[in-house]
Parts: sequence; structure tokens; C-alpha cells
Amino acid sequence: MIEVQNLHKQYGRIEAVKSLSFRAPDGAITGLLGPNGAGKTTTLRMIAGVLKPDSGSVQADGPGIGALLDHTGLYQRLTTRENLEYFGELHGMSGEHLSGRVQQVLAALGLEAVAERRTAGFSQGERMKTALGRILINAPRNLLLDEPTNGLDVPTIRSLRALLRRLRDEGQCILYSSHVLEEVRVLCDRIVVVASGRVVAEGTAEELCRVTASDSLEDAFVKLTSLEELQCSR
Amino acid sequence: MQSLIIARKEILDHARDVRSLVSSAFYALMGPLVVLMVSMGTGKADKGGNVLLAMMSVFALVATFVGGMNVAMDSIAGERERRSLLPLLLNPIERVEVILGKWLAISFFALCGSLVNLAGFRVVLAAARLPVPDLLVPVTCGLIPLVLLASALELLISTFCRNVKEAHTYLSLLVFAPMGLGMFLVFFPRMTQGLWFVWPIVGQQSMLQHSIDGRGIAPLEATLLALITVASASVVLVGASRLLHRDEIVYGS
Repeated sequence: MIEVQNLHKQYGRIEAVKSLSFRAPDGAITGLLGPNGAGKTTTLRMIAGVLKPDSGSVQADGPGIGALLDHTGLYQRLTTRENLEYFGELHGMSGEHLSGRVQQVLAALGLEAVAERRTAGFSQGERMKTALGRILINAPRNLLLDEPTNGLDVPTIRSLRALLRRLRDEGQCILYSSHVLEEVRVLCDRIVVVASGRVVAEGTAEELCRVTASDSLEDAFVKLTSLEELQCSR
Repeated sequence: MQSLIIARKEILDHARDVRSLVSSAFYALMGPLVVLMVSMGTGKADKGGNVLLAMMSVFALVATFVGGMNVAMDSIAGERERRSLLPLLLNPIERVEVILGKWLAISFFALCGSLVNLAGFRVVLAAARLPVPDLLVPVTCGLIPLVLLASALELLISTFCRNVKEAHTYLSLLVFAPMGLGMFLVFFPRMTQGLWFVWPIVGQQSMLQHSIDGRGIAPLEATLLALITVASASVVLVGASRLLHRDEIVYGS
């Protein structure tokens, strides 16, 4: 479970995140939805602990947070297995425990065939899966994913969706940020809509449609975010 | 110690970059090659021999800076450019451990460069039929501490620079520090007298020159120089570690 309370971050005169609060429960995929510049990436970085908030707090239970933010950032001269082992060792894992877990992750992501290959020249899908494997290596209770389907083909997106659903069913808390509304509608159990650095609505896709009297999530999203941006610009 | 895990990964990663290793080896052997060419021009006359030996001390100082240059460039500036720095920092590690690990790896390659350079000189001096000086004390108390300081400075530059191109420019300029200062001291050896011997680079140059000339090296001076050089490296590493805590350094904006 991830609980964010009154998170605030300012860059110079720009308030990127303003008193943002929400809760992402265990056993659910929570979508973080917002237009460009809404503060999603800043929020995810603060939750992951690589950016200090000016005020507010983040609480996460279980063994830490696995975060895939911005980019895969693989080491191209290392093999898939070595990339996973490196991150495992940085989490304090070693010996048979580490090698067993690496094998488990490789199998779960279908990466066994490329386990001994250096990651230079990998397809976008293989890169994404390896990066995902690195953050799953220590079996974190909470996962943060920022635009994970960017540049992926349909079969890879489908296999990623299946994996995330499996992790959710195992009780993990997944916070999923995306611009692709259809992706969020299909995958996420709950949606948190962010605009101009604050939460403007929360609920299931159906609830957001009902509250805004919209026929589609796209219409609901536009109504919710444009209203907030209009108020902020005044 | 997570810094050792990081150091081992960096060494493995860069040891596979054969092109980079070859270019670093050429850089390290540049000194012996230049001296070889000069020796062919001057013969082994007394004056020519002195010039060769004086040049050797300058190139030995330069070599401590060149072996780890490519690795340093790739370490933080390269990681940020390839966007692998943030995923690394998302792991439960202290920033100081990241700096220490990368510094150890840079120092390893810098030391290798320095040893390749000295081995090259040994071959050249033997070919020119000049006596090979005993460099045990200058290497252990002078060049190894200087390798540690040079690596720390290179890592600081790599941390500060936004991309590899910028880091390359500043690292190339850094190499001029031992080159320029070393050449200056060859022509103005008086500068190595007095308390100047405790200054990094100046002290190493003085120590090398003493060994080459067959003069003795005072143990106290050698120990003091080693300690001051390593202490300077520590200060630089603290600076690099502090830089890595800044958001604009991590995100490059």
C-alpha cells in the first residue's frame, strides 16, 4: 500500500505538486492519469525516494518500492542475467538466493532465451522486460511504473498487462502512470486524475464517467483536467 | 559494502569496452613512444640521456590522469546521458557508496594505465642503454596516491558535467595540469625545494626526479606527500558525493 499525504514540490516559482494526497491499495492497479506537466513524474519520483518533497509524506509498506521511471537505463555491455544480478546485489541479495530469484524472474518474464546475451541491440520489448526484471528482483511489495508501454508492440503490451494482473492478484500494489487512456481503462482498477499538481478526481473508470456525466473516460478526463487548468490560470 | 559491488560491476563493464581500453593504452604509451623518438634523435649522450629522464617524470605524472579518463567520463556523465543514473539511484544505496564504487573502478584503470606507462619506459630506457631508476618509493608513495587523487578529480568533473561531450572537454583540460606543471618544474627545479614537496603533483615530480638522479628520498617527506595527496582525494570525493545529492545533477536540468 502506498499512501501519499499533502505532497508539495516547487521548482523555483513553479509549483509542480500542490498538496497532493491519494492512496494506492494492495491487490490493485492504480492508474495515475494527467495531462503533460500535471506533476505525475515529480510525484512518482518523490514516492520512489529520489526527489525530496518540500513538505508532505509518503508511506509504503512491505519490502520497499520497485520503480521504473523515465527510461529503462540498462547496462549494454552486461548480459540480461548480469543486469538482474547487479540490482539484486545492491538490494543485499547474494549466493543461491540471488541466483534462484534471478532464474525465477527470467522465467516469469520470458527472458530465458536472452539471459546470457548482452543487452546492446535488444528490442524495445526486451529492454522493457529486462528493466522490469531488475525492479522485480527483490520482490517489492509496491511497484511504480511510468509510461511502461511506450514504444512497445501489441504482443509485448499484452504480455506486460498479463504480468501486471498476475502481480496484482498476488497482492502487490501497482501505481501505473500513462497518457494512454485506453490502456488505463483496460488495466487499472482505480484511477487518480491529476491536473496542475493536485488530485482532481479518484475512482473507477465508470465512477469518473458518472460523476462527469460522460460517455467515455476520454470525455471525463478532458472535463476534469480542463476545469482544473481553467481555475489555475485565473 | 555496496561500493565494492558497484566497483566490481564498473570494472567488468569497462573491461569489455575493448576500443576504450586500446585508446587508453595508446595514451599511456604516448610518453615512452615520444621519449623513444627523442632517444633515437639524441643518442645516448649525457645531455640526451638527461632530457629523456626528465621527460619520463613528466609523462609518468600525466599517465596517472589518462588511464581512468574514459571510465570517469562514462561513470556519471555517461550514465546520466544514457539515463541509467536514475535507475541506479532508485536502489537502496547511499550516494557516497555510488561515488566510492565508481572512484575505485576509475582508480583501478588509472593504476593500470600508470603501470603500462612505467613498463613502456623500462623498455625504452633499456633500449637506449640508460640506467633504469629504482621507482619503488616514488610509485608507492607518489604515483599511487596521485592515481587516487586524479581519479577523484575526474569523477568530480564527470559528476558536474551534463553529458559526455562536456566531460571530455574538461577532462582533457585536466590532463594539462600535470603536463604543464611537470614541464614547468623540469625547467624550474627550484620550485620543488622547501615545503613545495607536500603539494600533490609538485611533490611527485620532485620525488621522481630525485629517484632518477639517484638522490635519496626522505621517508618523512614521502609519507607526508602520500598522506596529503590521499587526504586531497578524500576532500574531492566528499565534494562529488554532495553534488550527487543535488536534483539538477541527477536529472540534468
